[in-house]
Amino acid sequence: MKKRLFCIILSVIMLFSFTGCTETMAYGENLEEYIVTMQYHDQFNILQLTDIHWNANTSAKSSMIYMDKLLKEVNDHIVSTQGEGSKIDLVELTGDMLMLANSYHLKTFINYFEQKAEEYGFVYAPVWGNHDRQGLYNSNTLAKRFSEAPHCLYFEPNDDLYGRSNYIINLTEDGSTSSKVDWMIANLDSGASFSETELSVFRDYDYIRPEQTEWFLREHELAGEDVPVIAYYHIPQDENDKVWTAVTEDGANIRNKFFKLEDFADNGNEKYASNFIDEAKKHNLKGAFMGHAHNVDWTYEEDGVVVGLGVKTGPELYFAHIKTDSEDPAMQEGLSSVGINENFDLIGASLVTLKDQSGSFDLEHLYFNERKDGDFAAWVKW
Amino acid sequence: MKNENQNKQALIVTLSVIVFFICSACSLMNALYCFSDCIGSIVSGSPDVAAKDALRSLPIFLSFFLSLSGLMVAHTFYRNESPKILKKNAKKHACIGAVLGVLLIVYVIAGLITGRYLSIAEGAPSPIYPLDAVLYALLFIAIAIFIFRYFKTTEEGKLYNGPVRAPIAKKGKFIRCFFRTIWLLIALYGFCGFFYSFFIVDFVHGYTSYSLAVMLVSLVACLSIAVWELYYNNLSEEERRAKTLKLSLILLCVTVVSAVLYFVGLRNSLDGPSNVGFGILPVAFTASVNFATLVVVFTPLIVAVTGLIKGLIRKAAAKK
Repeated sequence: MKKRLFCIILSVIMLFSFTGCTETMAYGENLEEYIVTMQYHDQFNILQLTDIHWNANTSAKSSMIYMDKLLKEVNDHIVSTQGEGSKIDLVELTGDMLMLANSYHLKTFINYFEQKAEEYGFVYAPVWGNHDRQGLYNSNTLAKRFSEAPHCLYFEPNDDLYGRSNYIINLTEDGSTSSKVDWMIANLDSGASFSETELSVFRDYDYIRPEQTEWFLREHELAGEDVPVIAYYHIPQDENDKVWTAVTEDGANIRNKFFKLEDFADNGNEKYASNFIDEAKKHNLKGAFMGHAHNVDWTYEEDGVVVGLGVKTGPELYFAHIKTDSEDPAMQEGLSSVGINENFDLIGASLVTLKDQSGSFDLEHLYFNERKDGDFAAWVKW
Repeated sequence: MKNENQNKQALIVTLSVIVFFICSACSLMNALYCFSDCIGSIVSGSPDVAAKDALRSLPIFLSFFLSLSGLMVAHTFYRNESPKILKKNAKKHACIGAVLGVLLIVYVIAGLITGRYLSIAEGAPSPIYPLDAVLYALLFIAIAIFIFRYFKTTEEGKLYNGPVRAPIAKKGKFIRCFFRTIWLLIALYGFCGFFYSFFIVDFVHGYTSYSLAVMLVSLVACLSIAVWELYYNNLSEEERRAKTLKLSLILLCVTVVSAVLYFVGLRNSLDGPSNVGFGILPVAFTASVNFATLVVVFTPLIVAVTGLIKGLIRKAAAKK
């Protein structure tokens, strides 16, 4: 009996040790492993969809109808402003694609994007949001399915770098890894939350860790010092909080636009302030775009770097209702900044168009609402 | 003849226990959906979305209560205070299940007519939602019809009685029932969480020790219910008196060790609770607190300490 019990315990330990001890890659020694490449061309269009938030309540069918219309609107807009042959090149899904969803949602979500990628000729790149981990599926299943989807650029090495969706999309002259890098798109995982100690009752929002910043800087050095960069991640970082304070306290000469309805940095604890934007600024960072906050789509520019939120995509969970008769000065300021004179919901998408290799780009926000008497679509340039 | 009857009784008891645990697992799954839906909608701050979501998901909520009614029927068959109470309670809970089932079916039909559902098998959260909810309701209606027919057509002497339990002591009955229910719910949550965790925990990305720790505390919660509810409560009064202290001491050691291991696992992955097996912690994310796991960690501990105190008091009383 004792022998049998011993064998069972040993088997269980061996099983767990096999599953737990797969070889971990050292990120510092394998920088090339984090890079995928695409061919660059002027007028390269990056569509940011964020916080789609399919959850247990979601009618996937209704949500797909909304996104069908949204993608058509974006495609039509690109063709009408940039000419025939122009298209969405890359879709950045900046987190919270799902929340307490199950494997069916996950499968349907990926199948949908695969189908649309085929239809419109784009590839897509997801980054993890805090809620994507809150699934009734195994988190590894999400990673595996995205990795295996033919039009999805996501991949996830088993490494010692903090977070999951840390990867680089280099836009090169001919699309190969050996040719010159014209633009770098950095995807980072801003995590979910963590406990300060094992006995903490409360959890703090996660942040881009110093090692992730270091990883980015080394990736950028590898691509070339002058390569312009745009970063995508989910949770806004500490810098946003500082700029918010500066702008809302009057007198700050910082260009800002769209809807400054609520603060959009989450951790708020100086101890966990991320150094990402401060450091990346020194490495030709041109823009950093994120999601997470649904009631706001404020964007600002400081030291030549445009930092902003994407417009929440789709009507799941919550979003701001913009009302022209609102007495909220922030809403009125937002309305005058975008020049829209009717009520609408703050949902849609945002589009970045890389103009040339010098690092200049256009940013447009699309507010798109389904309406019974004809859908509402408004494009606003940064 | 007597042996045959005993075998039949044993079979029904076993079946009732199996159905009870299956219903528990279903209830947990439903509860996960319900609570996550509710919380997601309530904290959203967009009442229009919350209302729309709640109306769409009403069949999921009703399914949860259907599962609960099934749970109560199974529990009544598994253990009851007398054949009369068994008959009364089983019929009552079956009736509740049938009424909820009918309501659910009517609601889905109305939803189809008004356009709330784009089709009977619109999809999400399951591939055939809300048809699956309708089928689930039909199952409970069928069970209710079976139970009513069983009590109506079976002769009084041939009715199944099941194990009879002693009535709960009148002194502090409310408090006892309240805390017992809370403990049962948490222990069942641990029980289901343990089996569910096999599918959703992460043994890579540095989360191995935390994943194992979560599985261990869930298993201990499950063990706690097995020992107290399935073993201890079925002992005679004398046997209980003799075993309370010993059992609670063993369980206290087990729960203390598991709690310590949990905190060691957590120390190794401080971001573990938000990355591993989050689907089984539906309450936790709303307030950014480690609530759910802590409850699962501490409840068996509290139950073991309570048992220990009870054992010590009994021992002292016996000495007098």
